[in-house]
Amino acid sequence: MEEPQINSNGTDNGDIDLSHHLSDEARNRVANPLKDIIRVISECPVIDLISMANGDPHHSLYPFRQIMYEVPSVQDAPDPVTSWRNNSGLAQIIRSYKDKECALSIRDAFPYSRAAGLQQCIDVLTDFTKLMFAPPNHHVMLTLGNSDGITKVFRLFGEKGDHFLTDEFSFPSMTNSPLAYGVKWVGVKMDPGGIIPEELERILAKWDEVKSGRRPRVLYIVPVGQNPTGSTLTVDRRKKIYAIAQRWDLIIMEDDPYYFLQYDIPQTNCASTDPDEFIKNFRSTLIPTFLSMDVDGRVLRIDTFSKVLAPGMRLGWITSNKLFHQKLADYTDSSTQPPHAFGQMFVTEMLSEHGWKVEGFCRWLKSLRMDYQSRRDFLLDVFSARRMFVWIEVFFERHPRFVREQYSGGSPVVARTNTEQLLKELFERLMNTQGVVFIPSSTFAIPENPLWVESDGHVPLSDRNRFLRATFAGTEDIIEKGMIRLGNGLREFFQD
Amino acid sequence: MVFLPPTTSTTSAVDVGLKRSHVDYYRHLSSEARSRLPNPIKSIWKAAQVKTGTINMGNGDPHHTLYPICEMNFVVPSIEEHDPVQSWRSGTGEQNIIASYKDDPCTLSLRTAFAYGAGAGLKEVRDALADLNDRIHSPPNHTVSLSLGNADALTKCFRLLGDPGDSFLCEEFTFSAMTNAALPLGIKWVPIRMDNNGLVPSDLERILSNWDEATQGKRPHVLYTIPCSQNPTGSTLSLERRQQIYQIAHDWDIIILEDDPYFFLQVRCNSMGTTRAIAEVLPRSFLSMDYDGRVMRLDSFSKIVAPGMRLGWVTSNSFFAEKLDMLTDSSSQHPHGMGQAFISELLGSSGWGVDGFMKWILSLCNEYQRRRDLFMDVFRQKVAISGFATAEGTTIWDTPTVPGGPTTNTADLMDELFRKLLNSGLVMMPASTFAIVDRTGTTGSHINDRVNFFRATFVGTDVTIRDGLTIFGRTLEEFFF
Repeated sequence: MEEPQINSNGTDNGDIDLSHHLSDEARNRVANPLKDIIRVISECPVIDLISMANGDPHHSLYPFRQIMYEVPSVQDAPDPVTSWRNNSGLAQIIRSYKDKECALSIRDAFPYSRAAGLQQCIDVLTDFTKLMFAPPNHHVMLTLGNSDGITKVFRLFGEKGDHFLTDEFSFPSMTNSPLAYGVKWVGVKMDPGGIIPEELERILAKWDEVKSGRRPRVLYIVPVGQNPTGSTLTVDRRKKIYAIAQRWDLIIMEDDPYYFLQYDIPQTNCASTDPDEFIKNFRSTLIPTFLSMDVDGRVLRIDTFSKVLAPGMRLGWITSNKLFHQKLADYTDSSTQPPHAFGQMFVTEMLSEHGWKVEGFCRWLKSLRMDYQSRRDFLLDVFSARRMFVWIEVFFERHPRFVREQYSGGSPVVARTNTEQLLKELFERLMNTQGVVFIPSSTFAIPENPLWVESDGHVPLSDRNRFLRATFAGTEDIIEKGMIRLGNGLREFFQD
Repeated sequence: MVFLPPTTSTTSAVDVGLKRSHVDYYRHLSSEARSRLPNPIKSIWKAAQVKTGTINMGNGDPHHTLYPICEMNFVVPSIEEHDPVQSWRSGTGEQNIIASYKDDPCTLSLRTAFAYGAGAGLKEVRDALADLNDRIHSPPNHTVSLSLGNADALTKCFRLLGDPGDSFLCEEFTFSAMTNAALPLGIKWVPIRMDNNGLVPSDLERILSNWDEATQGKRPHVLYTIPCSQNPTGSTLSLERRQQIYQIAHDWDIIILEDDPYFFLQVRCNSMGTTRAIAEVLPRSFLSMDYDGRVMRLDSFSKIVAPGMRLGWVTSNSFFAEKLDMLTDSSSQHPHGMGQAFISELLGSSGWGVDGFMKWILSLCNEYQRRRDLFMDVFRQKVAISGFATAEGTTIWDTPTVPGGPTTNTADLMDELFRKLLNSGLVMMPASTFAIVDRTGTTGSHINDRVNFFRATFVGTDVTIRDGLTIFGRTLEEFFF
């Protein structure tokens, strides 16, 4: 992995003081008083302390003593995902026990626990994180998946009246959530390579705190397989963005659910049976993360098992500096509590001796990536495709009812074409007449504000709102049918 | 108790016209809850489900063929045993295996359990729990949503109903981990006096009728209560008190947050019966009398299965349920598939079924009863005999009696006693941990004069109970001399 050239603003251990970023809510949050007692207890010198303090049901009362999971065998399988899908490969059994030895027993996993997660699970994910991302000085905390992680981080930093930065087309399930408590979004212009660093710089430099309130301090991005455009930020852009973050004291939220599904990487077909060789080779094919270049401690990286195991796992982790880690743990303690024991046990066993081990997990990831790539290739004839999504551009200017007006002053963000109306019509026609659903780009567009756009030559986002997001996560059969219907729908629409 | 036929999770209106008042649920929502937008992608997804044969190329769900788990199975006690908990603990009983599959039939397929879903949780699970609700509470007209346990449900309710500056009502000794969670949200707590039988309704009435909005801010509109085996005092509210409290809530338009994790451990009889029989001996919940739709009831699997289940359910009117689901969709998302799969199988026809689950619960109650009886015996022999402390309730609330009227040094003495116990090798929770200090000027006396209690639990082994109480008795004697 290449070494990033970033200058550190920080102290010897790298971390600078970022506590000023915390929201009032985060600042005012007190630790659980029961945990205070636990601290007093742990500092007590008496051995054989009898506790009549906690109300945990005894483990002998748990109505299960063993759990079995049947998973694909990844060991001697060159392509475990395909074998699994075809039912042609071997299976492996992983077990969790209550009273017998295993990586994380039922006895240890099911009592009430600390918010960051069970130590055994945190340890395996910390090891994995260090191996893959080499974070300078960070801590791992468990989440219930990326939605949970991201929205917790939003609450950590966001207050009413604040502005957060993100891509101009972004994932509304996430960006809608802080709107409810008064946080607003500033969309940064994108090109096919993702967010444009110069645009980010321009917005920050041009920001007028008198008119618009506090300058934005949080940047939320999906740097690999961006949702919805599918773009991946190059290493060069990442370094530029990190430097801008240092200059303007930004927090970077690195939301990375598709990281392990990167495509078009030169495949050095590693046939090595040596686990460390395999892992090293696998890692070398992956793009450096913001986390790996985070000398200041201003990056919070949000990882999830949703796309690489299953969405219903509801399990992920956040890697961040010590202060943010502590604050997130306190918040989790005061809300959702740590993730479910089943999931923590499964992941711990999976990554350990009796499971796939880290190397086996990497084999699964590599195989998964190849599977998605082959499906994407299946679509390559028709469109330019990336990641799990295809960002289809429609040339509305060729439509008989397309209207364009001349710009004659006034607000630079008001639409000058009827692109959005035509897009809506197309979306509805495809769904109701052809029976195929794509998500229109209007769902993802961050509303523009004239205060932070250039008045000369700016093309309003409304006029650039001309995309459909398609997924190729389905089977080949579905993809083919969907494309046929799309083709028919477009032909009819343009013959209007 | 009226037994209504089981209905689905969104029950159709039952004619309760005589008693129901028109409640403006909207006025109770926080400004955040009012502003919250529905998830636009889920709206499109819902629209796409309407027409059969529609190909959805909108969503980015991994296909189920890529889920690397095709079967999960669980070794559980056989529910055929006469006393399943005892047989399980001693290892003498039979065991069964219940299983969830991805590609074979079962109660809840892993294909469904492992996919993205709606915030409320999978319909199969909600329906099973709504059925359980119907058998136990016969709720007039409510909806079930899944939660990640009661801490999750409760703190979401705080966000749903509370604005910065709001005052919420609670018992003066309560589960402070939760009340603390509301503080950074700007919510203030108004403590209500308790006696040996729990929350005192006349004090609740007094606080509300004396409330002066000019000096104290908006009148409280939410009551947080733990009606069974109250944490920490251990008391369970009588039916009469519940009715009085509900009437007060009706008169003052208060939302009741019924936090009830110990509900199913209330059974005191020794018979093994059907769910219906058990329903008749369980306390009557606030939910069961909720004709106004002002109760949000929080149930959890933490104490009846295990804390690490991180699964529970919220029962409330459909308006609040929808708003709660929107909050869940904008944050933690629906609960994990593994837990939903396990509960579905356990409550389903290949598992224990609802009646079997009730049998397990009865058996659990007997076990807890046994431990409580042991605790009380030992307590009498080793502690009460000295005259310095008494114990009542389910979680035991010990009162070292300390002389003096108001404005005493009770808090300091308790602190000293706590440390002395610690150094003698015993931990019990001091009342101060749970005390809600009144900051809104409603109570006359300071709670620190009443913190002369310890909360001790009897969930440990028999040895723990015996040895622990011996230390307690001895240390208490030393302390008072």
